[in-house]
Amino acid sequence: MNCKICSRVAIENGFCSLHSMAYDNVLEKFSVWKRAQNVSWCEYLVEIQKNSLTGEWAKDVSKYLIVEGKENVK
Amino acid sequence: MGKYTLIITEKPDAAKRIATALDSEGKTQKKVESGVPYYEAYRNGKIIVVPALGHLYTVASKDKTSRDYPVFDYQWVPRYLAERGASKIRLWLKVISHLSENAEAFIDACDFDIEGSIIGYCILKYACGNKQESAKRMKYSTLKKEELQESYAKMLPHLDFALVEAGLTRHEVDWLYGINLSRALTTAVKNSSGQYTTISTGRVQGPTLKFLEDREKTIKSFVPTPYWTITAKISINDMEFEVDYEKVLESKPEAVAVLQACKTNEGKIDAIGVKEFNQNPPFPFDLGALQSEAYRIFHYTPMRTSSIAQHLYLNALISYPRTSSQKLPPAIGYQTILKKLAKTVAYAKHAAQLLSKPSLKPNEGNKIDPAHPAIYPTGSFPEKSLASTERNILDLIIRRFMAVFGDSAVRQAIVVTLNINENKFNLNLMRTLSEGWLQFYKPYVEVKDDALPPLTEGQIVAVKRVVMKDNFTKPPARYNPRSLLLKMEKEEIGTKATRAGIIQTLYDRKYVSGESALYVSDLGFEVIEILDKYCPTVISPRMTQKLDQEMNQIQEGTQTKPAVMQSAIEILKPVLSELKEKQFAVGSQLSVGSQKGRLEERTIGSCKKCADGKLVILRSRTSGKRFVGCTNYFHGKCSETFPLPQSGTIKTLKVSCKTCGSPVVYVLMGRRKPWKLCLNPTCLSKGAKKL
Repeated sequence: MNCKICSRVAIENGFCSLHSMAYDNVLEKFSVWKRAQNVSWCEYLVEIQKNSLTGEWAKDVSKYLIVEGKENVK
Repeated sequence: MGKYTLIITEKPDAAKRIATALDSEGKTQKKVESGVPYYEAYRNGKIIVVPALGHLYTVASKDKTSRDYPVFDYQWVPRYLAERGASKIRLWLKVISHLSENAEAFIDACDFDIEGSIIGYCILKYACGNKQESAKRMKYSTLKKEELQESYAKMLPHLDFALVEAGLTRHEVDWLYGINLSRALTTAVKNSSGQYTTISTGRVQGPTLKFLEDREKTIKSFVPTPYWTITAKISINDMEFEVDYEKVLESKPEAVAVLQACKTNEGKIDAIGVKEFNQNPPFPFDLGALQSEAYRIFHYTPMRTSSIAQHLYLNALISYPRTSSQKLPPAIGYQTILKKLAKTVAYAKHAAQLLSKPSLKPNEGNKIDPAHPAIYPTGSFPEKSLASTERNILDLIIRRFMAVFGDSAVRQAIVVTLNINENKFNLNLMRTLSEGWLQFYKPYVEVKDDALPPLTEGQIVAVKRVVMKDNFTKPPARYNPRSLLLKMEKEEIGTKATRAGIIQTLYDRKYVSGESALYVSDLGFEVIEILDKYCPTVISPRMTQKLDQEMNQIQEGTQTKPAVMQSAIEILKPVLSELKEKQFAVGSQLSVGSQKGRLEERTIGSCKKCADGKLVILRSRTSGKRFVGCTNYFHGKCSETFPLPQSGTIKTLKVSCKTCGSPVVYVLMGRRKPWKLCLNPTCLSKGAKKL
């Protein structure tokens, strides 16, 4: 099975080793953002998506999670 | 031709200097045979000094026809038999062999380090007919006349065989790793995709690329988190200062609360802490420190600095640069060097100041090199004018040399604690009480000196403004050539002579790009991922360190070459079996990375017209001409194109024109100076140039 984001082989959670590392970071840092600004999960994803310091793979993951979230709502 | 003593040097410049220094009659004669220069001189008999051109011999496979692996049968051969473009070496060796026929004594006068020792040893053994056992050895650290004469008078009775053994082992181990791993990866790609692409790795190259890949992964998966800082602008005796709240705040409501509480016009000085400390002079330069400092100040890559320093050494302006020593023994003659420096206006004042000290004692570091002292200037100045890069490095070495003899600088750190409505703010100031060595090292050291009004505890200060600032944590910085070199030194992988070359190989193989920050390419990622998956040992710094330590032990006489070679081969054998077994999986993964790498190399930037395409260098199928086009053209969505010069090499820069925003490329054409070209033919910047 391929990664949900790129064409590499998926290893965990449907992500390749590189995007999986970024996914873990995205999950881990949410608690810090919540404590700091009391943001919701969706607000958090949008914030890190537009932040220039966010890494390329973390941006890929947040973009994927935003789209996935919208599709789940539909 | 009568009998004579044959002296072998590493480079032609060194041959000329040695012949001139040793000639007691002042009649050194330059001779040329088949385009190879050598020098005749007289000193208690006839001397012929013939140079090498660096390494004339190299390690190669005994079987020249096979490209298969593993390869464990190797031999030392002349470079022209193993490398393309080394045909000049054939003539060089012929002349050395010819000169050796009538020689009655042999002296190895190559640089006294691992590389120099192997160069001399191989020439004596293979080109001069096994003269390595009877040859004597000159040992010197500068090409100054007096030192060369002394080195000749007190030459060592034989070669330093421990150094030679250690060097031969290093070359052979590195060859075994490089040839076998690179063949395994290259063959895997060829068998998988049918395309030939050189994929290389090596004993030191692999772990070095791994450092870069680890950092790149951290940066690319980084998620910033917010924090807040609060600063206040205060006024003391009409002087304004910015003071920082005592800590950073990780919650916005908490930061807002502090900000609200600080809305007042007055604050009070609670405490004044003063701490005096000594700042010791720097250590003398070893090669790594020189490369690091030259990058910090001039942005010269380690490779460039190394080559400039080598040139300065061959001109007898500095001591031997490939040293790891931080020691300056008194034998180099501190006073003599400073007296020579004092004759030049730029250094006269500082040199005289040091000469007036009752005694001269350098501030030395712990690192030692059995063969050479730290880098120091000889005090001589060039006969011909130097290039600006050489002037810069020479000036840096001279000022550093003077700085190490300076007194410690005495500095004062002042921390003023302010109370603004029960919230603590800090004002950090720094003053220099005594400049000490800092004055000798200017302009390469910046001294922060804050103006300071009279302060007393309990004093009331005016608070002008309090500001809250939103911040985000930052990812770690990418390695640059300097920080990567320091990392390699810290991890003890590679040697002072090879580290800069290894960084350059990473560029040449297109595993990394970027000048001031090293970016790992897709190909670089794939190579490391495969090695990590199938043979993690070969990218482990620990394995490389272990082998390096064993090779150092050969030099110290506590380890033997056969034992180290055996140990290296034992590590390599299972790795190669694994790679062979999995070659199709390895090949297909590397092919993808290689294709991505090629596309990345041709990619100029994003297409502004269609927004989601990429501008790449293409070639017209009909005319064969090259141009820049959008990748969306192939999907019928975008027709953006730009013309390109049809000759020369185009390098992508991934930057936009400051005038029109179109992509800019770098054009390299023959001997012409490379230039930046905006792809937009109607860009106003071009019109302005024509006018």
